[in-house]
Amino acid sequence: MDRASFEVLEGEFVAIVGPSGCGKSTILNMIGGLVTSSAGAVLVDGAPVTGAAPRHVGYVFQKDTVFPWRTVARNVALGLEYRGVAGPERARRVREAVALAGLAGFEEAFPATLSGGMRQRVALMRTLVVDPEILLMDEPFGALDTHTKLVLHAELLALWEARRQTVVFVTHDLSEAITLADRIVVMTRRPGRVKMVHEVKLTRPRDVIALRESDEYAREYGRLWHVLGEEFAYPQGGHPQGGPSK
Amino acid sequence: MTDRARVNLWRVAILVALLGGWEWLTGIKAISRTPGLYWIDPFFISRPSAIARRFVYLASGEVRLSLWQMALSTVQSTLWGFVVGVSTGFVAGLVLGRNDRLARVLEPYIIAFNSLPRIALVPLVTMIFGFGLLAKVVLAWTIVFFIVFFNTFQGARAVDADLIHSARFLGAGERQIMRTVIVPSALAWTFAALTPSISFALIGVVVGELLGGESGGGLGYLITQSLGTLNAADMMVALVSLGAIGIVMALGIKQVERRLLRWRPEYRTERA
Repeated sequence: MDRASFEVLEGEFVAIVGPSGCGKSTILNMIGGLVTSSAGAVLVDGAPVTGAAPRHVGYVFQKDTVFPWRTVARNVALGLEYRGVAGPERARRVREAVALAGLAGFEEAFPATLSGGMRQRVALMRTLVVDPEILLMDEPFGALDTHTKLVLHAELLALWEARRQTVVFVTHDLSEAITLADRIVVMTRRPGRVKMVHEVKLTRPRDVIALRESDEYAREYGRLWHVLGEEFAYPQGGHPQGGPSK
Repeated sequence: MTDRARVNLWRVAILVALLGGWEWLTGIKAISRTPGLYWIDPFFISRPSAIARRFVYLASGEVRLSLWQMALSTVQSTLWGFVVGVSTGFVAGLVLGRNDRLARVLEPYIIAFNSLPRIALVPLVTMIFGFGLLAKVVLAWTIVFFIVFFNTFQGARAVDADLIHSARFLGAGERQIMRTVIVPSALAWTFAALTPSISFALIGVVVGELLGGESGGGLGYLITQSLGTLNAADMMVALVSLGAIGIVMALGIKQVERRLLRWRPEYRTERA
């Protein structure tokens, strides 16, 4: 990555889009302290990120990271368990979160019995139940089918409207970025640079289904598609600085 | 007929055919009415009827050391060897599995010790621990430890890094990660080692008993004793008993495994 500089405001929903291999996930991992940058820095509230997994940061991975040996309820309880929240308080918060995720009745189910969408709901609620101020999401719905994805978009937006965490959401799905984000950071192909930061002028709260048919959505999509299209247009071998970005 | 009933029927049929064939073949004389000349001599492999009679006799109170006492001694040593071997192997596997440098330092020693034929250790173990329970447990341990160790070691290394990361983001400290991510993750690997471990614990114990004589006790002693008296029937009694012990222990482990790994898809459907 190179000169990938942008700002995220408190309570803002920012999406990062770009071709694969451009370092989208690396940016997220830098914010989460999982990798350190060779040059440059990530500042949160003015202070550089040091050490992995800062306390106020929640991370939802693309991969299924629900613990298969724990039931839904005990997966959701993990963060509270780690932070020493116990007894009726923990039980209450878990119950609420499970209900909020639409998983009531599945408390005692093991993940292997759930669909991919349900598992990702568990992962999301498990992260939200400890109330992170910053939520990092790395293509969390990338493995889901279009319909399930839309349902989860609606659910994520509803949850976010209620709490207004600062969200950094990595995706390569442009429609997903437009549906969810306030601003979209468009990255160039490797070596990843910030090509532009685009403000999504769609009002909130958004209806994820109706939105797709609106003219505003089509306009946003058209503009971004054009910008992003330039990045995909280059012949892959024609770039002098290939090689892995991580 | 259900599938299960059919399987059981076949199992019984094979048993009956085996025992019947054995009994029949060892009863055919090579030259009629001449004693001692058989096509297949029961002197060497005995006959089911003779084995059953010896079984009843040895299990009765008429002998000084009954079959039950010998079996109990073998089972006891095996369980001890198993429990000690599994627990130490598990802990060692976790520690080395999560500590790359230590694992690399110890690697040659572990491989060297593991490649020793365990039977070569018997005289040394006997010198140090004598012939009793302790020696047998130690022999079982030397085998079980490594089986469980290697599997747990692999399991602890194979833990998905993203699971550890997500635990960390949820606020887990190192000990919590060990308890809630690495141990449950490695357990699936450890369990794969338990059924062979029981068999190998039994091997270690019986080897100890074969050499231990009467003070070692157990079914291995029954075997050496039978060799001394050239009594194939008694040997068969001991072998059948060992087989039965092995089956019961393996089934017990399967139950524990089914309980502890019930989150795995392959155990869900078997509940009925």
